[in-house]
Amino acid sequence: MATLNITYDGRSGDLPGTIERSLTDDDIRTLAVEVVRTGAIPGLHVPDLPPNAFRHFVVDRFGGGRVYLRPKVPFGA
Amino acid sequence: MRIFFCGVGALGSTTAVLCRNLPAELAFADHDRVESKNLLAQAYTRQAVGRNKAEALKLQLHNFHGVKAEAFPVRLEETNIATVAGSADLLVDCLDNAPGRLLVSAYARETGTPLVHAGLSGDGMFGLVRWDERFTPDAADRPGQPTCEGGEHLPLIGLVCATLARVIQDHLADGIRRDAMVTLTGVRTTAEGETGGL
Repeated sequence: MATLNITYDGRSGDLPGTIERSLTDDDIRTLAVEVVRTGAIPGLHVPDLPPNAFRHFVVDRFGGGRVYLRPKVPFGA
Repeated sequence: MRIFFCGVGALGSTTAVLCRNLPAELAFADHDRVESKNLLAQAYTRQAVGRNKAEALKLQLHNFHGVKAEAFPVRLEETNIATVAGSADLLVDCLDNAPGRLLVSAYARETGTPLVHAGLSGDGMFGLVRWDERFTPDAADRPGQPTCEGGEHLPLIGLVCATLARVIQDHLADGIRRDAMVTLTGVRTTAEGETGGL
Protein backbone atom coordinates (compact mmCIF):
# COMPACT_ATOMS: atom_id res chain seq x y z
CA MET A 1 0.00 0.00 0.00
CA ALA A 2 1.12 3.57 -0.56
CA THR A 3 0.07 7.16 -0.02
CA LEU A 4 -0.69 9.06 -3.21
CA ASN A 5 0.37 12.71 -3.48
CA ILE A 6 -0.96 14.75 -6.39
CA THR A 7 0.38 18.10 -7.58
CA TYR A 8 -1.83 20.01 -10.00
CA ASP A 9 -2.09 23.65 -11.00
CA GLY A 10 0.31 24.80 -8.30
CA ARG A 11 -1.43 22.90 -5.50
CA SER A 12 -0.42 19.67 -3.83
CA GLY A 13 -2.01 17.24 -1.41
CA ASP A 14 -2.18 13.65 -0.19
CA LEU A 15 -5.13 11.38 -0.88
CA PRO A 16 -6.43 10.25 2.53
CA GLY A 17 -5.96 6.52 2.95
CA THR A 18 -3.78 4.37 0.78
CA ILE A 19 -3.67 2.95 -2.73
CA GLU A 20 -2.38 -0.36 -4.03
CA ARG A 21 1.26 -0.06 -5.05
CA SER A 22 0.52 -2.43 -7.91
CA LEU A 23 -1.58 0.18 -9.74
CA THR A 24 -0.12 1.07 -13.12
CA ASP A 25 0.82 4.64 -13.98
CA ASP A 26 -2.28 4.92 -16.19
CA ASP A 27 -4.44 3.54 -13.35
CA ILE A 28 -3.07 6.28 -11.10
CA ARG A 29 -3.73 9.00 -13.68
CA THR A 30 -7.32 7.79 -14.06
CA LEU A 31 -7.81 7.57 -10.30
CA ALA A 32 -6.35 11.04 -9.87
CA VAL A 33 -8.95 12.60 -12.18
CA GLU A 34 -11.73 11.09 -10.08
CA VAL A 35 -10.36 12.10 -6.69
CA VAL A 36 -9.55 15.65 -7.77
CA ARG A 37 -13.03 16.05 -9.33
CA THR A 38 -14.73 14.80 -6.17
CA GLY A 39 -12.59 16.84 -3.80
CA ALA A 40 -11.23 13.82 -1.97
CA ILE A 41 -7.91 15.57 -1.53
CA PRO A 42 -8.13 18.52 0.87
CA GLY A 43 -7.30 21.76 -0.90
CA LEU A 44 -7.30 20.20 -4.35
CA HIS A 45 -10.86 20.22 -5.69
CA VAL A 46 -11.47 20.84 -9.40
CA PRO A 47 -15.01 19.70 -10.30
CA ASP A 48 -14.63 20.30 -14.04
CA LEU A 49 -11.19 18.73 -14.40
CA PRO A 50 -10.70 17.47 -17.98
CA PRO A 51 -10.42 13.67 -18.30
CA ASN A 52 -6.95 13.95 -19.81
CA ALA A 53 -5.62 16.46 -17.26
CA PHE A 54 -2.84 14.15 -16.11
CA ARG A 55 -1.96 12.68 -19.50
CA HIS A 56 1.56 14.16 -19.47
CA PHE A 57 2.14 13.84 -15.73
CA VAL A 58 4.89 11.68 -14.21
CA VAL A 59 4.38 8.98 -11.58
CA ASP A 60 7.28 8.76 -9.11
CA ARG A 61 7.44 5.74 -6.80
CA PHE A 62 9.78 5.89 -3.84
CA GLY A 63 10.49 3.86 -0.76
CA GLY A 64 8.61 4.79 2.36
CA GLY A 65 5.25 3.99 0.79
CA ARG A 66 4.73 7.14 -1.21
CA VAL A 67 3.68 7.66 -4.81
CA TYR A 68 3.79 11.11 -6.41
CA LEU A 69 1.85 12.27 -9.45
CA ARG A 70 3.43 15.48 -10.67
CA PRO A 71 3.89 17.66 -13.76
CA LYS A 72 6.94 17.12 -15.91
CA VAL A 73 9.84 19.45 -15.21
CA PRO A 74 11.78 19.67 -18.47
CA PHE A 75 12.91 23.27 -18.14
CA GLY A 76 15.78 25.05 -16.49
CA ALA A 77 14.51 28.09 -18.36
CA MET B 1 35.07 22.57 -3.00
CA ARG B 2 34.14 23.52 -6.53
CA ILE B 3 30.49 23.83 -7.55
CA PHE B 4 29.92 23.55 -11.27
CA PHE B 5 26.65 24.89 -12.72
CA CYS B 6 25.55 23.27 -15.97
CA GLY B 7 23.36 25.94 -17.53
CA VAL B 8 22.88 29.43 -16.09
CA GLY B 9 19.48 30.47 -17.37
CA ALA B 10 16.70 31.28 -14.92
CA LEU B 11 17.40 28.50 -12.42
CA GLY B 12 21.18 28.38 -12.76
CA SER B 13 21.88 32.11 -12.65
CA THR B 14 19.54 32.84 -9.74
CA THR B 15 20.77 29.87 -7.72
CA ALA B 16 24.38 30.82 -8.32
CA VAL B 17 23.74 34.29 -6.89
CA LEU B 18 22.22 32.64 -3.80
CA CYS B 19 25.29 30.42 -3.47
CA ARG B 20 27.74 33.34 -3.49
CA ASN B 21 28.41 33.10 0.25
CA LEU B 22 29.22 29.40 0.30
CA PRO B 23 32.76 28.24 1.08
CA ALA B 24 33.24 27.09 -2.49
CA GLU B 25 34.50 28.12 -5.89
CA LEU B 26 31.73 28.63 -8.43
CA ALA B 27 32.02 27.71 -12.09
CA PHE B 28 29.49 28.10 -14.89
CA ALA B 29 29.01 26.53 -18.30
CA ASP B 30 26.53 27.88 -20.82
CA HIS B 31 26.79 28.45 -24.58
CA ASP B 32 23.86 30.85 -24.77
CA ARG B 33 23.86 34.65 -24.82
CA VAL B 34 21.79 36.99 -22.68
CA GLU B 35 18.80 38.43 -24.54
CA SER B 36 16.59 41.31 -23.43
CA LYS B 37 13.71 38.92 -22.75
CA ASN B 38 15.92 36.97 -20.31
CA LEU B 39 16.05 39.95 -17.95
CA LEU B 40 12.47 39.18 -16.88
CA ALA B 41 13.30 35.85 -15.26
CA GLN B 42 17.07 35.49 -15.05
CA ALA B 43 19.64 37.11 -12.77
CA TYR B 44 21.13 39.29 -15.49
CA THR B 45 21.19 43.06 -15.74
CA ARG B 46 20.68 45.14 -18.86
CA GLN B 47 24.43 45.60 -19.26
CA ALA B 48 24.74 41.83 -19.79
CA VAL B 49 22.61 41.73 -22.93
CA GLY B 50 24.65 40.30 -25.77
CA ARG B 51 27.23 38.63 -23.54
CA ASN B 52 27.62 34.92 -23.06
CA LYS B 53 25.61 33.93 -19.98
CA ALA B 54 28.47 32.17 -18.18
CA GLU B 55 30.77 35.14 -18.78
CA ALA B 56 28.08 37.64 -17.81
CA LEU B 57 27.33 35.86 -14.53
CA LYS B 58 31.03 35.67 -13.67
CA LEU B 59 31.35 39.40 -14.34
CA GLN B 60 28.26 40.31 -12.31
CA LEU B 61 29.34 38.25 -9.29
CA HIS B 62 32.71 39.95 -9.35
CA ASN B 63 31.41 43.48 -9.88
CA PHE B 64 28.45 43.38 -7.51
CA HIS B 65 29.60 40.96 -4.82
CA GLY B 66 33.36 40.65 -5.11
CA VAL B 67 33.03 36.94 -5.76
CA LYS B 68 35.40 35.28 -8.19
CA ALA B 69 34.07 32.56 -10.44
CA GLU B 70 35.08 30.73 -13.58
CA ALA B 71 33.15 30.75 -16.84
CA PHE B 72 33.04 28.26 -19.70
CA PRO B 73 31.15 29.73 -22.68
CA VAL B 74 30.54 26.38 -24.30
CA ARG B 75 27.77 23.87 -24.86
CA LEU B 76 28.48 20.80 -22.76
CA GLU B 77 29.06 17.82 -25.01
CA GLU B 78 30.41 14.32 -24.70
CA THR B 79 33.70 15.50 -26.18
CA ASN B 80 34.32 18.32 -23.70
CA ILE B 81 32.51 17.61 -20.45
CA ALA B 82 35.44 15.80 -18.84
CA THR B 83 37.71 18.75 -19.58
CA VAL B 84 35.27 21.51 -18.68
CA ALA B 85 33.74 19.93 -15.57
CA GLY B 86 36.68 17.75 -14.62
CA SER B 87 37.56 19.56 -11.43
CA ALA B 88 34.01 19.75 -10.09
CA ASP B 89 33.26 18.45 -6.61
CA LEU B 90 29.53 19.04 -7.07
CA LEU B 91 27.56 19.32 -10.29
CA VAL B 92 24.35 21.35 -10.49
CA ASP B 93 22.16 20.65 -13.51
CA CYS B 94 19.94 23.55 -14.55
CA LEU B 95 19.77 22.70 -18.25
CA ASP B 96 16.58 22.96 -20.27
CA ASN B 97 16.73 19.78 -22.31
CA ALA B 98 16.70 16.06 -21.59
CA PRO B 99 19.73 15.13 -23.75
CA GLY B 100 21.88 17.64 -21.88
CA ARG B 101 20.67 16.40 -18.53
CA LEU B 102 21.40 12.80 -19.56
CA LEU B 103 24.92 13.79 -20.61
CA VAL B 104 25.65 15.40 -17.26
CA SER B 105 24.07 12.48 -15.43
CA ALA B 106 26.18 9.94 -17.33
CA TYR B 107 29.34 11.91 -16.57
CA ALA B 108 28.46 12.20 -12.87
CA ARG B 109 27.79 8.47 -12.58
CA GLU B 110 30.97 7.59 -14.45
CA THR B 111 33.14 9.80 -12.25
CA GLY B 112 31.24 9.43 -8.99
CA THR B 113 30.67 13.20 -8.78
CA PRO B 114 27.59 14.25 -6.76
CA LEU B 115 24.93 15.79 -9.01
CA VAL B 116 21.74 17.62 -8.13
CA HIS B 117 19.12 18.51 -10.76
CA ALA B 118 16.52 21.25 -10.82
CA GLY B 119 13.65 21.71 -13.25
CA LEU B 120 10.45 23.64 -13.85
CA SER B 121 7.15 22.63 -15.37
CA GLY B 122 6.13 24.37 -18.57
CA ASP B 123 3.28 26.23 -16.89
CA GLY B 124 5.60 27.65 -14.24
CA MET B 125 3.50 26.20 -11.41
CA PHE B 126 5.80 23.45 -10.16
CA GLY B 127 9.50 22.87 -9.61
CA LEU B 128 11.61 19.92 -8.62
CA VAL B 129 15.01 19.58 -6.93
CA ARG B 130 16.29 16.02 -6.96
CA TRP B 131 19.62 14.23 -6.62
CA ASP B 132 20.82 12.20 -9.54
CA GLU B 133 20.29 8.76 -7.99
CA ARG B 134 16.53 9.40 -7.97
CA PHE B 135 16.27 11.52 -11.11
CA THR B 136 15.01 10.74 -14.60
CA PRO B 137 14.88 13.64 -17.09
CA ASP B 138 11.43 14.61 -18.32
CA ALA B 139 10.97 15.43 -21.98
CA ALA B 140 8.81 18.37 -23.02
CA ASP B 141 5.18 17.47 -23.66
CA ARG B 142 5.54 18.63 -27.23
CA PRO B 143 8.26 20.22 -29.37
CA GLY B 144 8.41 23.95 -28.93
CA GLN B 145 6.49 23.92 -25.65
CA PRO B 146 6.70 27.38 -24.08
CA THR B 147 9.24 27.65 -21.29
CA CYS B 148 9.16 29.93 -18.26
CA GLU B 149 10.83 32.89 -19.95
CA GLY B 150 8.14 35.38 -19.05
CA GLY B 151 8.40 37.32 -15.82
CA GLU B 152 5.08 35.97 -14.56
CA HIS B 153 6.80 32.87 -13.23
CA LEU B 154 9.54 34.72 -11.35
CA PRO B 155 8.08 34.04 -7.86
CA LEU B 156 8.17 30.27 -8.41
CA ILE B 157 11.60 30.47 -10.03
CA GLY B 158 12.78 32.32 -6.92
CA LEU B 159 11.35 29.64 -4.65
CA VAL B 160 12.92 26.80 -6.61
CA CYS B 161 16.29 28.57 -6.67
CA ALA B 162 16.19 29.31 -2.94
CA THR B 163 15.34 25.67 -2.32
CA LEU B 164 18.16 24.46 -4.56
CA ALA B 165 20.64 26.81 -2.90
CA ARG B 166 19.63 25.50 0.53
CA VAL B 167 19.92 21.90 -0.69
CA ILE B 168 23.45 22.69 -1.90
CA GLN B 169 24.26 24.45 1.37
CA ASP B 170 23.08 21.46 3.41
CA HIS B 171 25.05 19.07 1.23
CA LEU B 172 28.22 21.09 1.73
CA ALA B 173 27.64 21.22 5.48
CA ASP B 174 26.93 17.58 6.22
CA GLY B 175 26.67 15.61 3.00
CA ILE B 176 22.89 15.18 3.12
CA ARG B 177 21.11 14.84 -0.21
CA ARG B 178 17.66 16.31 0.25
CA ASP B 179 15.10 16.39 -2.56
CA ALA B 180 12.29 18.92 -2.79
CA MET B 181 9.02 19.51 -4.62
CA VAL B 182 8.12 23.17 -4.94
CA THR B 183 4.81 24.93 -5.57
CA LEU B 184 3.74 28.45 -4.71
CA THR B 185 1.91 27.02 -1.69
CA GLY B 186 4.92 25.30 -0.18
CA VAL B 187 8.16 23.40 -0.38
CA ARG B 188 7.98 19.70 0.40
CA THR B 189 11.41 18.37 1.24
CA THR B 190 12.48 14.77 1.28
CA ALA B 191 15.77 13.33 2.47
CA GLU B 192 17.34 10.36 0.73
CA GLY B 193 13.97 9.63 -0.91
CA GLU B 194 11.99 9.61 2.34
CA THR B 195 9.28 12.10 3.14
CA GLY B 196 10.24 14.88 5.48
CA GLY B 197 8.56 17.97 6.85
CA LEU B 198 7.88 21.18 5.04
